[in-house]
Amino acid sequence: MPSTSPAATRRPPPRALSPRAALVERLNAGREGGARLAYEGSVAFGPVHTVERFRLGNGLKILVLVDPSAPVVSYHTWFAVGSRHERPGKTGLAHFFEHLMFNETSNLPAGTFDRKLEEAGAESNAATWVDWTYYYENVPKDRLPLVITMEADRMANLVLRQPQVDSEREVVANERRLRVEDDVDGSVNELLYRTAFGRHGYGWPTIGWMQDIEGYTPDDCAAFYRTYYAPNNATVVMVGDVKLEAALKRVQDAYGGLESAALPVEDVLPEPPQTAERRVEVTKPTATERVAVGYRGPALGDVDHAALTVVNEALFGGRSSRVHRALVHEAELATDVRGWVGTFRDPGLYEMTAAGRPGVKAEALLEALDRAVAGVVQGALGEDELERVRARLELGALQGLETSGGKAEQIGFWATVTGDPAGSFGRIEAIRRVDRSDALRAARRFLVPEARTSVLVRAGAAAGGQP
Amino acid sequence: MKVYVEPNHELPIVSLSLAFRVGSVCDPPGKEGLARATARLLRRGAAGLGAFEVEAALDALGGEMTNDVGLSLTTFGFEVIARNADAFVDQAAAVLAGPAFDAGELGRLLRETEGELVEARDNDRGLAYRALRRALYEGHPYARRSAGTLASLRAIGRDDVVAFYGRHYNRANALVAVSGDVDEARGRELAERLVAALPAGPETPDPVPEPAPRPGRHLVFVDKPERTQTQLYVGSLGTHPADDDHLALHVATTAFGGTFTARLMREVRSKRGWSYGAYARLPIERHRETFTMWTAPADKDAAACLELELGLLAAWHEGGVTPRELAFVKNYLGRSHVFEVDTASKRVHQRLEADAYGLPPGYHERYVERVKAVTKDEADRAVRTRLDPARLVIALVGTHAALGAAVEKAAGTLDSRTVLPFDFE
Repeated sequence: MPSTSPAATRRPPPRALSPRAALVERLNAGREGGARLAYEGSVAFGPVHTVERFRLGNGLKILVLVDPSAPVVSYHTWFAVGSRHERPGKTGLAHFFEHLMFNETSNLPAGTFDRKLEEAGAESNAATWVDWTYYYENVPKDRLPLVITMEADRMANLVLRQPQVDSEREVVANERRLRVEDDVDGSVNELLYRTAFGRHGYGWPTIGWMQDIEGYTPDDCAAFYRTYYAPNNATVVMVGDVKLEAALKRVQDAYGGLESAALPVEDVLPEPPQTAERRVEVTKPTATERVAVGYRGPALGDVDHAALTVVNEALFGGRSSRVHRALVHEAELATDVRGWVGTFRDPGLYEMTAAGRPGVKAEALLEALDRAVAGVVQGALGEDELERVRARLELGALQGLETSGGKAEQIGFWATVTGDPAGSFGRIEAIRRVDRSDALRAARRFLVPEARTSVLVRAGAAAGGQP
Repeated sequence: MKVYVEPNHELPIVSLSLAFRVGSVCDPPGKEGLARATARLLRRGAAGLGAFEVEAALDALGGEMTNDVGLSLTTFGFEVIARNADAFVDQAAAVLAGPAFDAGELGRLLRETEGELVEARDNDRGLAYRALRRALYEGHPYARRSAGTLASLRAIGRDDVVAFYGRHYNRANALVAVSGDVDEARGRELAERLVAALPAGPETPDPVPEPAPRPGRHLVFVDKPERTQTQLYVGSLGTHPADDDHLALHVATTAFGGTFTARLMREVRSKRGWSYGAYARLPIERHRETFTMWTAPADKDAAACLELELGLLAAWHEGGVTPRELAFVKNYLGRSHVFEVDTASKRVHQRLEADAYGLPPGYHERYVERVKAVTKDEADRAVRTRLDPARLVIALVGTHAALGAAVEKAAGTLDSRTVLPFDFE
């Protein structure tokens, strides 16, 4: 019942601002528009750390984890653009930017970007995949201002003319030869996704088709840059020995003047349900046959993703796993077996591969894989087996968080793909909760023979088939 | 036994590295691969458990056991969720001290390794590097492959494994590094428990003579069909940290090809786009190891790329580093050193490595100070003394019918040329 006492009608007493609100108020003094900062709360990152969330007026998301345990800072910039956002005929553009972004800006001559970073003692690199592209620098803590300034500069002022495009095109073509043309596993993985996806952008390779790489123009690059490289399509992650207020002020100074972009509605083409197995054969210059299988898998945000990851670990995780024991140890059919549940924003593949021993046919590998898969579809995992699998996954998740860079990568990945910067710890909890029923349901939901694609790799005669 | 501990309570993980001073250089001639087979067989049945039961017992505790056999060191890595550290270390200790060395399991392991050797022929870069080492260290144990060869694996029997284990797996030969969610006393206690059941000694003597530079320039072409790209190494003997000029050569090598903006990368990738990567390296071991340059040009650019690299090497040998390069690389090495020591596991492994490889006192601790003190004269003298363009091995994987003649021409004056099939091992 509402109170009508006089006390309730008085103005509330002056209340002190929370420390974060006070910080933002100080930082926003005299600033307008894109440079104004908003505090969006904090998220626990495991038992020890906290991720503080901010956003600039131009849409740039800023995530900060202060960890003074070493005098370093890992600075990540995640863009919500990957190969899925490309169009047929221009595949590989997202990855191409991973190269162009280290080139020339209107403020930095060619070659200067890397040189300045290396002189500062920084480690820097970038990565591109289907849903995202990210750039990172690990720097001694006193060099953080330099990195903030340089990252903001290349977000807006990249020079994209013919010489820059031609130079990097050759490098990327060589990267493709290294990773695909002359690499059996790389080329088989490309074929697997091309065969499995007929509509969705997951069907083309992140590095792009060679003929597309050869056809990029400066106009293609400029259009892509204007569309996707904007503060409202990016998340900056800082982890390490960060002085929060000084770092945020520097971010406001560097990024505050950048304009946000009108991000396009993604013209996504969902993959229709697969109702019949697809199987292709390919001959490679290799001495041993192998097989790659892709079942239709869940999106990372799917309720059963963690459960299927548990199933995968039971099948492929370590030497005590079912597939390793059956194919490598007991039947001596394979030298190497692997499984991975895709961690994509849209439904991807649950990949399995087996590399055969000399003389073993790909069909024999596939049959043995099928027997192991049938085991987890027909009956629940054992209690001990489930415990073992959960323990392995928990250790694996923790191992990725040792360095500042490891934490920043996890924060950036989860924030970009699912919106939750602490998703890696949520993931550990989700895996702890998976029970035998969950695992059985996930296995039956996704390990459907009609909804899979298989690539059988034949040993090329020129490569010789026997030791 | 030496024990090193670096606490870090941020994550609930405990890591132990157990290194024995024994590696592939201790393989008996004709039985290459024995050190690695011994290390791998250890976990395939021990303390009354079969191969699968050992794996399941370690996994159930949220623990991981890895093994790595290098030239002079066999390292077992153990990592576990902290709450299970006691049970895990006890289980690992039982495995280390009570291997069954079942003959049937050894047979499985050796057949598995044979399969891996055949599959490794798909790795062109690995093939090129093997070809380089075989030619560079001809007749020396550093030429050996730790995994062995198809022939040497077939010569290994259970008695060999038992004898090798008996000779080398003891406390005197062991170094233990502990890091993670432990304090100093707890770390030492876990280290002691890990090796408690091993015999006391003795330490394995180092069987390796100091490798000598191979005279002359040699080309090894590994012929493989359908290549669109070559994997190309140029190498010669490097240095050991105990050499007076080691750090000067390290600084000069970093200036030449150790960073993304170094001379080699600038000329090969940035100016010409010929290779995705272009690096020079100078790793360390218990004795002098290898100086290498690596590139991966498309077949159409391979000969020109080799010619360019040899020209760059000659110019470096003749003219040394520029003052600007030297100043730059000192900044780079000095400031980036923080990433060599930013985690407890890195710090503790530095201490273990210093002991295992016989590094001079203070090698890691005084690294930055000593890098900053390197002069241009010292750097240039180290390059002139240690690296001779007339004393090189060039090893590459490509399709010989398409490239052989052009590459041989680009290689300059050669003292030998060899063409190997890609299944040479």
